[in-house]
Amino acid sequence: MIFSRSIKNYRILGLYIILLTPIPVYFYLGLKNRLGPDPVKFLEHKYGELALIFLILTLSITPLLKIFKVNLIKYRRCFGLVTFYYVFSHILIYLIFDIGLSLDLLVSDLKKRYYIIAGFISFMLLVPLAVTSSDKAVKRLSPKTWKRLHKLVFIALSLSIIHFILLSKTWTIELLTYTLATMIILLLRIKYKKYRLIFFNIFNS
Amino acid sequence: MKKLKYSDITPENYYINRRNFIAGSAVFSSMIASGLTQNEAEASISQLSPNSLQEITNYNNFYEFGTSKTDPAKYSKKLTTIPWQLEVDGLTNKKGIFDLEKILNNKQLEERIYRLRCVEGWSMVIPWIGFPLKKLIDQMDPKNEARYVAFETLYRPDEMRGQRYKILDWPYVEGLTIEEAMNPLTFLATGLYGKELPNQNGAPLRLVVPWKYGFKSIKSIVKISFTSEQPKTTWSAANPREYGFFSNVNPNVDHPRWSQATERVIGEGLFGQRRKTEMFNGYEKEVGHLYKGMDLKKHY
Repeated sequence: MIFSRSIKNYRILGLYIILLTPIPVYFYLGLKNRLGPDPVKFLEHKYGELALIFLILTLSITPLLKIFKVNLIKYRRCFGLVTFYYVFSHILIYLIFDIGLSLDLLVSDLKKRYYIIAGFISFMLLVPLAVTSSDKAVKRLSPKTWKRLHKLVFIALSLSIIHFILLSKTWTIELLTYTLATMIILLLRIKYKKYRLIFFNIFNS
Repeated sequence: MKKLKYSDITPENYYINRRNFIAGSAVFSSMIASGLTQNEAEASISQLSPNSLQEITNYNNFYEFGTSKTDPAKYSKKLTTIPWQLEVDGLTNKKGIFDLEKILNNKQLEERIYRLRCVEGWSMVIPWIGFPLKKLIDQMDPKNEARYVAFETLYRPDEMRGQRYKILDWPYVEGLTIEEAMNPLTFLATGLYGKELPNQNGAPLRLVVPWKYGFKSIKSIVKISFTSEQPKTTWSAANPREYGFFSNVNPNVDHPRWSQATERVIGEGLFGQRRKTEMFNGYEKEVGHLYKGMDLKKHY
């Protein structure tokens, strides 16, 4: 899972390094107190936002191939795992620096705060996907089961955007953009066939 | 009381290090005026060590300039604050449009070090310069039917780029009951850290109501009116379930989506601890009587 065994390709290894570099760089700037007056919120938001961006990018790779015939499939696993590391960093900042490892605060947040609940479930759904990211896991699960399992990513994406909406005070341009992108990705996945069937049934009844 | 000039207050090189900052004497006399003894005033002030000027001027919620906290510092330089006029309207015997300069002419400026608690769950301590709102209200001679004071922020989209997007219903409006407005703690700021108010902090004239969440402290005020009905306020109009008219700091009444029990202290760095939020942001002694018998869960 770490970088997955399939890194025989130096291009993909380079991509991992480039995409993950912001995590330690921002953290270092935070330690040096160079992220503005509120470094905790800065890191929490930055990692969270980048996680959402990478999740959206990961899920754009298949539509890109199907609609525009641009083939980036060999980078999809890399983007997916990078997403997971951003989500993981985001949660570590929340647990360690924001709530100061307070179990009381965590429990009350998980009981009462819908945005924390949504975010936490989204993270839990991404864990099995990251763990089964290797070629070996695909074989072990059988490609069909693996594919079905990895459909969870769409629920994780929906919950992530709900998490973001619930913690925002207003509809900022960024939030609107991510929500729109999410809706496009989800709509593209709803099978055209199913739609036709529904319409057919309506008109015949 | 001696009239304080900006230059009378701690020199900049001294207050840059906030730990070394010592409150000017003016704040003590103002606390005495609000009914505290010198000892109590000193005790409550000594706990408040102000944030640095850098922090106060680079971490702002001022959506007129953008929704990010760094936007106001970036985009507010364009704002023209001279000349500035203040319109006085409603139930008063002194309706009219006044030059800010004239209003400030006879005002003794003093310093107030207040904690500002944002509804988002963070706080910072700011050494304001200004005068009590009460002084202006007395001068404006409101009629007896005036039960509320309404405030309005400047609407000027070509200088306030955030107003080009309708994220809120511009212009920003706020309000207080007349009793809240007349409380000795309620302050109109024209400066901070002994200097003129920076644009991103609401120049040239802003309200400071330290026992309420920060959004009640309306910035860049162009209009004050006296009303008999509770005035519209921007955030409660945008989302009445989440933001009330009173919006007093209260650790026991959560925002529907997040807790208000604790706050992050700005300036404490990555390893800073959360602080327990105090009732009325620590000003219960001074303002608690305003809300006696009121159900604060209902009147949030």
